Amino acid sequence: MNQIPANDAVVATTNGITRGEVILEATDLVRRFTAKGEGGLFAPKKTLVAVDRVSLALRAGEVVAIVGESGSGKSVLSRLLARIITPSAGTLALRGTPIDLRSRRTTAYANEVQLVLQDPFASINPVRRVGRSLERPLRIHGTPKDQVQARAYEVLESVSLTPPQQYLDRFPHELSGGQLQRVNIARGLSVRPKVLLADEPISMLDVSVRLGVLNLLRELCDAHLLAMMYITHDIASARYIADETAVMYAGQVVERGRGTVVIDAPVHPYTQLLVSSVPDPDQLTHQEHRATTANAVGFNLEGCRFSPRCPHATELCHTSEPPMVELEDGHSAKCWLVADAAQRTAVSMRPGPSSEG
Amino acid sequence: MTTSSNPVLEVSHFNVDYGVGAAAVRAVDNVTFTLERAHVLGVAGESGSGKSTLAYGLTRLLRAPGIITGGDVHLHLGTDADARRMDLLAASEAELRAIRWKHISVVMQSALNALNPVRKIGKEFDEVLKTHNRSMSKSARKDRARELLGLVNLTPDRLERYPHELSGGQRQRVMIAMALALQPELVIMDEPTTALDVVTQREIVAELQKLRQELGFALIFITHDLSLLVELADEIMVMYAGRIVERAPALELYRGPRHPYTLGLMGSFPPLHGERKVMTGIPGSPPNLKDLPGGCAFHPRCPYAMERCTLEDPMLSPIEDGQRTVACWLHDPSVSAAVPVELRRKDAALAGEAG
Ligand SMILES: Nc1ncnc2c1ncn2[C@@H]1O[C@H](COP(=O)(O)OP(=O)(O)OP(=O)(O)O)[C@@H](O)[C@H]1O
Ligand SMILES: Nc1ncnc2c1ncn2[C@@H]1O[C@H](COP(=O)(O)OP(=O)(O)OP(=O)(O)O)[C@@H](O)[C@H]1O
Ligand SMILES: [Mg+2]
Ligand SMILES: [Mg+2]
Repeated sequence: MNQIPANDAVVATTNGITRGEVILEATDLVRRFTAKGEGGLFAPKKTLVAVDRVSLALRAGEVVAIVGESGSGKSVLSRLLARIITPSAGTLALRGTPIDLRSRRTTAYANEVQLVLQDPFASINPVRRVGRSLERPLRIHGTPKDQVQARAYEVLESVSLTPPQQYLDRFPHELSGGQLQRVNIARGLSVRPKVLLADEPISMLDVSVRLGVLNLLRELCDAHLLAMMYITHDIASARYIADETAVMYAGQVVERGRGTVVIDAPVHPYTQLLVSSVPDPDQLTHQEHRATTANAVGFNLEGCRFSPRCPHATELCHTSEPPMVELEDGHSAKCWLVADAAQRTAVSMRPGPSSEG
Repeated sequence: MTTSSNPVLEVSHFNVDYGVGAAAVRAVDNVTFTLERAHVLGVAGESGSGKSTLAYGLTRLLRAPGIITGGDVHLHLGTDADARRMDLLAASEAELRAIRWKHISVVMQSALNALNPVRKIGKEFDEVLKTHNRSMSKSARKDRARELLGLVNLTPDRLERYPHELSGGQRQRVMIAMALALQPELVIMDEPTTALDVVTQREIVAELQKLRQELGFALIFITHDLSLLVELADEIMVMYAGRIVERAPALELYRGPRHPYTLGLMGSFPPLHGERKVMTGIPGSPPNLKDLPGGCAFHPRCPYAMERCTLEDPMLSPIEDGQRTVACWLHDPSVSAAVPVELRRKDAALAGEAG
């Protein structure tokens, strides 16, 4: 039931995992934060919904890319999936087994689901040499003593930190930003997790090294059936690596689709704005964007979150939240325009004279 | 060479080592450049090529075991009448403290981590504003902080937040706003937008451009995003293994790279359109600073390497009437072999204009 048909005639199986099998599934995850409002001690408390009913399935051998606005809840989502923070609502299941979210995270869960945090400067212990940071999870994971170092060498080499012995003895502050980021990835991969949650893992790498790491991650998915969530602001890299792309805005997934459809043919106005904002030196005379700045207008919590910025917003958009509508197989969007259009298409599909533009 | 009409920063033969004696590695090697007032210099290059080290070295923020082992760095402060030229490498700690934030500010690459975790954002702004402007009232400081947050698209309620309550991109924006707080002459930003979505990035870059025109500050912008640099920078400098290997006006560098490493970078961007296919980037691995190859440091990975490249180190030299500089033997006049076509291409439109 949890499987999608594999294209290949041979269905690859590793450790009893089948390609396409759902490994980690989140349903309607919510995470709220309360914070003091502006203006002194007695200011009213404000509740912020950082992640708002997000459902997501990470499948063996596949990459789900998450793109979206800064502050839209991507990192919070990754921390919820890693069980570093607890959801306010929603459920999680690992390989079909529901997780009791009130219980503590087990070591087994921590080993199978690895999180590579967004900020390498903050996520690697600054007073520990790189070697120790790498070897610790391996030991905890029960790697035989005589294999720990070999494995550490292997993962460092796989992220182009060569020769590895030169990096093992260094402290984090003795590495460049991009080198540290690669240590962070190496650490996440070292214990051979089933799920990798990678939060902006390559933002500080030059494009050439970046390609190497992307290819490595793709290969781990293809050959070892790793299930991966890849959070990024680099739209082209999402397009390069992802089997599915989801776009987040104000805590919600507003568009998702398989393959490259979300980037090649976006339908949600926010996704359209996002894709058209990618710097493109071949088109320096950029058209002025009609959408207004995010924080100048804030979010609409009644209707569509994007409606205050949306050039196409109607009264309906301001007052009522659009449903997620499936446009075609594996491509859906949360937008009234799309919902309307989908309805209209359904209507116009009735037999009758068709006019070609 | 370009005429230095109104420089804000002059750097010559600048070297930085990590460690001393046999253990020393040279992370910045013989870097020379001049930055004009109100100009934007983009710095790109391989991960580990010395970009951050250069930024921290120039501003004397380097931490041990990093040591400046040579060169000169001069900062031009003030305007016309009270203009002065300050020797940054000779300046005392007190002198440096006096100019930091006010004349020169740095957004560090570890910006995500640079904020004090137990201090609210508002307090951070307050400290910076207070230290350099004693006459400013408390409410004026608060107004200024709100205004600064507005520049980077953050709502004023963020002043009441602790750093851990902000997303990665929100923290980066706070750092950008702080760097601009006292309107310095020179701002250095090291990967300031890695956690920003492209929409927000575009808005902030536009804001930076606008402020630069209004206030006239110069900007050194370090990033791996060459496409962004083409939009933002006047000139781009590419580093490899501690050296500048190429420098050119932004669009020209993009349309016609001259160094094989730059060309390799250009070919490593996954496309935003068309068919998906596997790309390989630049073959080989990044150089080991402890054991650099002889000759040109890029030669083991260079598809055009000649015998000379393995023996002699090319100097950064002017080409094309001094419009740009490159450190590559292929462009040396004494080399008889023709420069490969992909390394002498000019954009058709540009060539037409020039001719
Ligand atoms: N511990 C916290 N307390 C209060 N608010 C928080 C906390 N952590 C995150 N937030 C808020 O939740 C929202 C989502 O944050 P998150 O870090 O997930 O964003 P993001 O999508 O990862 O953004 P970026 O791309 O900038 O990293 C933000 O508005 C942030 O301010
Ligand atoms: N304290 C140190 N001791 C020894 N080597 C160091 C130290 N700090 C940095 N290095 C080395 O110096 C080189 C330059 O580092 P730097 O941080 O300047 O690179 P960068 O160009 O900013 O790279 P990135 O794009 O990855 O941030 C790197 O190879 C790094 O490993
Ligand atoms: Mg984040
Ligand atoms: Mg750096």
